[in-house]
Amino acid sequence: MGKKFLRFEFLLLFAVFIIATCGLIYELVAGTLASYLLGDSVKQFSFIIGVYLFSMGIGSFFSKFFHKNLLNTFVEIEILVGLIGGLSSVILFLLFESVGSFQFILYLFVFVTGFLVGLEIPLLMNILKDRVEFKDLVSNVFTFDYIGALLASILFPLVLVPKLGIMGTSLFFGMINVSIAIALCFILKTELKKAYILKTKAIFSFLLLLVVFIFSDAILAYSEGKLYGENIIYTNSTPYQRIVLTHNKSDYRLYLNNNLQFSSADEYRYHEALVHPVMSISKSVKNVLVLGGGDGLAVREILKYKDVEKVTLVDLDEGMTKLFKTNKVLTDFNKNSLNNSKVIVVNTDAYIWAKNCKEQFDAVIIDFPDPSNYSLGKLYSLNFYQTIKTILKPDAALVIQTTSPYFAPKSFWCINKTVMQVFPQVDAYHAYVPSFGEWGYTIAINGFGTTFNTVNRKAEKLRFYNYQFDRFNYFTNDMISNQIEINRLDNQILVRYFDEEWGKLQ
Amino acid sequence: MIRLSGTKHLLGHRLWIKDFPEPSKQIEIPYLIVGGGISGLSAARQFHKKGITDFLVIELENHLGGNSSNGENKYSKYPLGAHYLPLPNKNDKELLQFLEEEKIILEYDSQGYPVFDELQLTFAPDERLFYRNNWQEGVVPKEGNSTLDNLEFQKFFQKMDVFRKAKGADEKYLFDIPLYLSSSDEETRALDKITMKQWFEEHHFSSVPLFNYIDYCCKDDFGLGIDYVSAWAGIHYFAGRKQDIAAEKNDSVLTWPEGNAKLAHHLQKYTTDKTLKNHLVYEVKIENDKVIAKAFDDVSKTSVEIIADKVIMSSPQFVNQYLLKDRKGFTKEFQYTPWLLATLTVSDLEDNYSFPLAWDNVIYDAKGLGYVYDQHQTLQQVQDKKVITYYHSFSSGDLKKIRKEIYKRDQEYWKQFVLNDLKIAHPDIEEVTEEIEIFLLGHGMISPAPGFIFGEAKQKAKQNIAQKIYFAHSDLSGISIFEEAFHQGINAVNQILDGTTLDS
Repeated sequence: MGKKFLRFEFLLLFAVFIIATCGLIYELVAGTLASYLLGDSVKQFSFIIGVYLFSMGIGSFFSKFFHKNLLNTFVEIEILVGLIGGLSSVILFLLFESVGSFQFILYLFVFVTGFLVGLEIPLLMNILKDRVEFKDLVSNVFTFDYIGALLASILFPLVLVPKLGIMGTSLFFGMINVSIAIALCFILKTELKKAYILKTKAIFSFLLLLVVFIFSDAILAYSEGKLYGENIIYTNSTPYQRIVLTHNKSDYRLYLNNNLQFSSADEYRYHEALVHPVMSISKSVKNVLVLGGGDGLAVREILKYKDVEKVTLVDLDEGMTKLFKTNKVLTDFNKNSLNNSKVIVVNTDAYIWAKNCKEQFDAVIIDFPDPSNYSLGKLYSLNFYQTIKTILKPDAALVIQTTSPYFAPKSFWCINKTVMQVFPQVDAYHAYVPSFGEWGYTIAINGFGTTFNTVNRKAEKLRFYNYQFDRFNYFTNDMISNQIEINRLDNQILVRYFDEEWGKLQ
Repeated sequence: MIRLSGTKHLLGHRLWIKDFPEPSKQIEIPYLIVGGGISGLSAARQFHKKGITDFLVIELENHLGGNSSNGENKYSKYPLGAHYLPLPNKNDKELLQFLEEEKIILEYDSQGYPVFDELQLTFAPDERLFYRNNWQEGVVPKEGNSTLDNLEFQKFFQKMDVFRKAKGADEKYLFDIPLYLSSSDEETRALDKITMKQWFEEHHFSSVPLFNYIDYCCKDDFGLGIDYVSAWAGIHYFAGRKQDIAAEKNDSVLTWPEGNAKLAHHLQKYTTDKTLKNHLVYEVKIENDKVIAKAFDDVSKTSVEIIADKVIMSSPQFVNQYLLKDRKGFTKEFQYTPWLLATLTVSDLEDNYSFPLAWDNVIYDAKGLGYVYDQHQTLQQVQDKKVITYYHSFSSGDLKKIRKEIYKRDQEYWKQFVLNDLKIAHPDIEEVTEEIEIFLLGHGMISPAPGFIFGEAKQKAKQNIAQKIYFAHSDLSGISIFEEAFHQGINAVNQILDGTTLDS
């Protein structure tokens, strides 16, 4: 009898140890999650700990209303704590994007977990009070409680978060919590009433946690994908692409099909480097053509030159150009360039348009999306550049955005080599754009009447480009690639290079 | 919406009873070309090149082109027959010349290779195969093969490479295009006596994916699958094209949304104002040193008598047997596989994105030969609707029987037939299909069963009659490809003009 008694007591005290460890873990998870998602970690941690301790107090208060089947209640609570605590981080992660009252839900979870843990210790003391001497009981319960707390607070930052991640940690401890309940169900089956119901509940909860644990990576990927870390202020799906505009402090970012198109903080670097070399090199700039670039930012730069008489912008997506003609935030960026009387916007397929075009241009700026699929790849083909040549005046200059020479050197030099087949003078240059990285361009002249180092005209008050072209066309070894094929419609080798190079990075 | 159409077989069948009115008018012309398919049009071009313009082309259908015809809907042109031309062999000067005339070859580079127009070469990606529940690049099964399969593929292609380069004692290629240029090497010609399947087994091949791949290739060019086609023809598919005309990607093909109707249109310019369409020739005979051809005008329902000095019969032999006497005996040996083409307009064509939509999309182990994406050669970024053309050949040991059966089925039957086959790769094809046009060709193409290519029937059928009636059709080559028809037309004209004859 005495021996069994000892085992019973020891088992319950071990349960206390686990409850304490798990309880603190849930508290730490909530705190970490709150500071991660909401920021201001001191405030978040302080509030979470306060609410948690307070709700434990409430739990302790309510424990006096439990009289019957104390052991059963204890096991039930054990299961419940495991389930709620374990799933809390998963639910919080998933709800963050879609629920307005996120904070309320966060504190509700903290409260419920704290409340249940608070219930358990007094409940346990009640169970054991007739079997152990009170002095020993109090001392043992609190000893194990505090040991558990210490263990949790050391393990959490050093082992658990680095190894399991926040979501994994809470799920893992949820499972430990529930497995104690399962162990109790089996060992104390004679003392428990209707032990099989508890067993079923416990095992079911354990399995649920296990399944979520297995898929926690996928859930995290999903929810993190939703977190741009920026506020989405506008989304629109046109027939051609999904436009997303985000805002964070003073930075606006435009995403097309989830690819960053520009960041308002540094787009001036990209667009000045795109537009000003070609505008200063070209023999004349009276009649300028822009292909792509529906955001109007390149046009903004072009209009800085007084001798520009006409700008034709051809962009497939009417939804895009309309947005950049009408949205107040966006017209502030492009200085209302698309509504300028010199500018003609044509919404059609650029390739077909160029094939049928009867006009000839003094300068052409090509700002298409990267060649990430076979459709877009056509817009970088030999035949496309041959087509463009037919609508260029003699000595007109042409520039093409040609992805990153650092991340995708093969793609970059493939486009350059393809352009070389068509135009007598071709060069490449690059600029650093913080939100993109090292970015590059191919530039060409349709004749020998001007050179890349000629500056025929300048715009005033540029922030980035200084009209010293020879400072931009130097490439370090890590941005060079040899043995590149020419991109043709029948090989589309560029799409393969691009996929190989950017695919590697994902 | 479904539409069912085909070649004018009902009008053609009136040749059995010949219940046509007596000719009510006469036309006199030095040269008459019966049949406006590629061989007839090629003959017209050759006449023109030789400075002869007083010829007439007479055609049963309301358009020229024969198997190189096309349809067109709101969204795209599409083929109603042959749909591509592989890069020509370096030795095929006539064809190279034609491609240069039509600006398909733009110039020759410093190494002497022709520069083909980028817009007329198949855009990448050109082919994909639905194999083991995934689309993969190319039509040769690759991902998911066993090691043994891969070894057999390797061995097979090595053998084909050897055949491609090999020449006989007569210094001629064992397999060449046009076919009559091939070596008379006896051992090689013996391959025409067995089926491709027998050859496959005799060489200890056993790989199922390889078997299916060869079966697909044979059906693609000959209509008949590996079980029924001559081994000589089967190997010719792989070895006839020398792939010596380009430095890289030399197995490329030329294609257009309307298929080879593009080439037919190029050739048609030589027949302007020299064509009688909707005319069924029902009798051709020699009388008083002249050739008399009687034809029924299906529009005015009257008949016409054409009196010519020389006639080129560029009509198929299954038709010629009703127009000329004493031809039924050997014509029996000419077998033609029926074909079905279905052009679908679909709102979208989603699949499992394992490899993007290509020009030629083949479904492994399907009934048909897959489908061609008709808008593949367009430059646009996006298409409102997609238009695809599905191909199916009725390969069989008894082609006559199957031909009778296919004309008994209604359009609903064929619609389900096509959709069920496409469902293997596109489970939702039925929901996204907005329009479907079924096109049946009862005598789709000449099919070289064993013994035909080097057999007597072909020899007899191609002999001119009294140096007045000449024959030019791809069925006289034995394989139904553009190059054969093209050369048939040229050679017939050359024979007429210089009295030379070609032998094979």
